[in-house]
Amino acid sequence: MVNLTIDGKQVAVEKDATIYDAAKACGIKIPILCHDKKLHPFGGCRMCLVEVEQMKGRLIPACTTPVTEGMIVQTTTDEIVKARKLVLELLLLKHPIDCPVCDAAGDCDLQNLTYEYKVNMNRFVDEKFNHEIDYENPLIERDMNRCIHCGKCARICDEIVSYGAYTFINRGIEAKMGTEFDGPLNCEFCGSCVSVCPVGALNSRPFKFKARWWALQKTKSVCSYCGTGCQLTLGSKDGKVLTTIYDENQGFHNGQLCTRGRFGYQFVNSDKRLTAPLVRRNGKLQEATWEEALAEVTTRLAAGKSDPASIAALATPRLTNEELFLFGKLFRGTIGTDNIDHSAGYAHEALTKGAVASFGVAASPAEIADVQKSNLLLVVKSDAYETHPVIGFEINLGVKRKGIALRIVSDKKGKLTRLPGAKTTVHAPGNEVALFNALCKSVIDQGLAVEGVAGLDALKAAVADATAEKAGVSAEEIAAIAKEFASAEKALIILPIGQGYPGHNAVLANAAANLAILTGQVGKEGAGLLIMGEKNNSQGAVDMGIYPKGTGLNAAAIIDGCANGNVKTLFVAGENPVVSYPNRKKVEKALENVEFMVVSDLFLTETAAMADVVLPAVSFAEKSGTFTSLGRRVQNVRKAIPAIGLAKSDFEILNTLSQALGGARYNNQGEVFTEIAASVPAYKGLTQAGLKDEGAVYPVALSAKLVPAAAKAAAPAAGKLALVTGSALYHCGTMSRFGEGPMYVCPDAYAELNVADAAALKVEEGDQVTVTSGTGAVQVVAKVGKRVPQGVVFSPYHFGEGSVNTITDGAEVTYVSVAKK
Amino acid sequence: MIMPLIKGLQITISHMFKKPVTLQYPTERPDVKPGFRGLHALNVSHDKAKCVACYLCPTVCPAKCITVEAGEDANHDKYAAKYEIDMLRCIFCGYCVEACPVDAIRMTEQFELANYSRADFTYTKDRLLEKK
Ligand code: SF4
Ligand code: SF4
Ligand code: SF4
Ligand code: SF4
Ligand code: SF4
Ligand code: FES
Repeated sequence: MVNLTIDGKQVAVEKDATIYDAAKACGIKIPILCHDKKLHPFGGCRMCLVEVEQMKGRLIPACTTPVTEGMIVQTTTDEIVKARKLVLELLLLKHPIDCPVCDAAGDCDLQNLTYEYKVNMNRFVDEKFNHEIDYENPLIERDMNRCIHCGKCARICDEIVSYGAYTFINRGIEAKMGTEFDGPLNCEFCGSCVSVCPVGALNSRPFKFKARWWALQKTKSVCSYCGTGCQLTLGSKDGKVLTTIYDENQGFHNGQLCTRGRFGYQFVNSDKRLTAPLVRRNGKLQEATWEEALAEVTTRLAAGKSDPASIAALATPRLTNEELFLFGKLFRGTIGTDNIDHSAGYAHEALTKGAVASFGVAASPAEIADVQKSNLLLVVKSDAYETHPVIGFEINLGVKRKGIALRIVSDKKGKLTRLPGAKTTVHAPGNEVALFNALCKSVIDQGLAVEGVAGLDALKAAVADATAEKAGVSAEEIAAIAKEFASAEKALIILPIGQGYPGHNAVLANAAANLAILTGQVGKEGAGLLIMGEKNNSQGAVDMGIYPKGTGLNAAAIIDGCANGNVKTLFVAGENPVVSYPNRKKVEKALENVEFMVVSDLFLTETAAMADVVLPAVSFAEKSGTFTSLGRRVQNVRKAIPAIGLAKSDFEILNTLSQALGGARYNNQGEVFTEIAASVPAYKGLTQAGLKDEGAVYPVALSAKLVPAAAKAAAPAAGKLALVTGSALYHCGTMSRFGEGPMYVCPDAYAELNVADAAALKVEEGDQVTVTSGTGAVQVVAKVGKRVPQGVVFSPYHFGEGSVNTITDGAEVTYVSVAKK
Repeated sequence: MIMPLIKGLQITISHMFKKPVTLQYPTERPDVKPGFRGLHALNVSHDKAKCVACYLCPTVCPAKCITVEAGEDANHDKYAAKYEIDMLRCIFCGYCVEACPVDAIRMTEQFELANYSRADFTYTKDRLLEKK
């Protein structure tokens, strides 16, 4: 610790702190423009000038000057104020005084400082900039005339996002923040640059002119897309969510969001939202009252109570814990059926079966904070960036700032594979388990296995014939990764799961867990296995037990049951099996066949359109409750706006049904949480109020055990391409299709081909292609690049038109032929 | 008993022959002084309302009677797609005029604002613009 005096106050800080940090620590505010706590110090604006007794004679920038023992600092003297005023005058010389029409007004550092320092005249005169303004971009409007050259956008895009879209171009007075060849911005659209821009040079286009910053009601909540569980602040006005507001103090991610969280909120107030219940009459869905709709559902469910096996229910892991708990209680308890499931059944098995077998808990042993505490990250699939972009930022930061080693085993390349020092092992599609088995074998052969772990002999026998060749990679690579992983002080495996990744199942979770357990990389901070659930509450759905526990049917069996008539009543809360479950034709047939189907959803999805009763549900912005993110953090979701139209939350719907069927009734969702805390062991002692803004990570008690994982032999078909599915960066599940932001950037289903394959097929970027498998054929747009290796096609699963589940059937890899339309 | 009555009548009758002290509205019109705060008007320049929909007047208005909705015109500039004052709630304080950074709103000398229905007291952008 270093001791110093700031404005007469004694303060002790870490030795790597700057004067700015020290002042902040003792509550003294030094004005800044170019500094950001997340970024490396830059020292470009000179707004933070202070006086240091020991360095008299000149003013010192507080944001770049490290503290030294005994420093005596003055932060406001007449001379300093004069200097800061000069800085502002010089900035205002070029800055257009656009405040009345600038969306940053009210939240603009330059405006606030100008006001604070009473800069109401300027000693200098000059012409303003006359840069062309980029109005074309659908998400980010760039007006470089307002830029004050703080460099934050370029730094955040480089340091944290690792995209590098911006750099200063030209020199002297002509210098400007430019893009590649000064062309249009075409990046990840995470909006990080917009959020840190201290002025209105970078603005959110969807929010343009929508409201003034000070008129927005700010509600702290949690993103409802992926399992990362980023905290965000919703800005709403007149019952509409208009934007997400940046708050650098929110969450582990310091307010950083990905494109979905930042620009994907429009689904909340979409015109396509369902506003009234629909009931099928004479074959057509027609508007009905809640009483009519619920009466129909109640009658049906009450009648089915005598034969509970004929009732099945699917829930989306986007619901809150409270809703999911009530869902489980209603169907499992009141109605008495175990036929309940979520996420197509397979997308949660890595947790519900894999982690349970390997660690004795249905959760990841690691948490998000472990990413940055690790020494080596082993990422399964480069897609981990696309599925959980903000975890991707954590990886970027860890690799670049802390020198964490990054190893990726993947069937394609991607953003992570380009990070400095990253080593990527590209294997043949579907060989993940074989690869982990080969790694385990190599660990054992190299004598790096820890002795005495449970199940060692069984594993030794099981991996006896595992070889690198079987995984389609070189023996040296396997040996090298095994050695590095085992000898790293702390090594963490990152495994994304989800409906796009049928191969990331229980077996792969076991295989990955084996490596961690075998090398002793469990039960300590910065090590272990981080299983990343796909949706905002994937972990919560597992914790609330939304999967068959006994003899009940899982999601796939429920679909089969609908097809063969064993399941007569299907209750679907928010899932969209028609698009997101494998084999669309089969699902459609099954849902057509089922006698009675109820769907509660925000939109008339492909599935809802087939239902007998459609109940309009509300989005995360219209309800309160909790979500549990990957890494087991339970967080508060808060209501920002009233429900749209007549829509009701799933809590209200389930609560009414539960009461009507003779089950429990709650006065509010908070009571359900109290019951969760009392009956779900992991949530013991938690209260919604106690979660506060930061949430709480619930603890797990691990009992690690090696579980042999059988690798399936991949059977490549001659002359066919291997289709692997997954997530696109801009989308998550099928809900992001209703947000304008994601749809501006990534509107259509596509198939990504390698350049060589594309050349052989005479397909060019943007061509319509037909992809045919044994299951069906689908038309999508071709994307050509070098990211996927030869022989592999990648296609994201989110889209209704050209949905990839038309041609998949739940296998890890689907062999397809591609032809130009 | 009768005396005070007669006294009172005396005063009344004497006033019938004096010059009236009040303004004989509506036959006589008041002489409106500069700075009078009457009905609002939106200023026009180059055939367009000057208002840039900065929302400062609705923010400052103590009666919360101004509704502004911004729009983006063909040149990507901000303009008031909607500008409405609910004259029933306005307290004619003139803060809106003071707050406006672009001199887009002023208060006219018009004070005769009586009307027949509530709706007629909603002054839309068109009505406020009419008086150049
Ligand atoms: S939106 Fe994100 S990726 Fe694009 S330039 Fe800004 S920070 Fe970089
Ligand atoms: S665009 Fe904004 S963040 Fe980037 S340099 Fe200019 S002022 Fe700074
Ligand atoms: S989609 Fe996931 S990574 Fe992106 S902001 Fe939301 S929670 Fe964070
Ligand atoms: S005069 Fe006062 S009360 Fe009336 S609209 Fe203006 S600010 Fe509001
Ligand atoms: S303050 Fe002036 S420019 Fe701003 S909204 Fe009101 S009238 Fe328009
Ligand atoms: S904030 Fe210190 S130089 Fe800009």
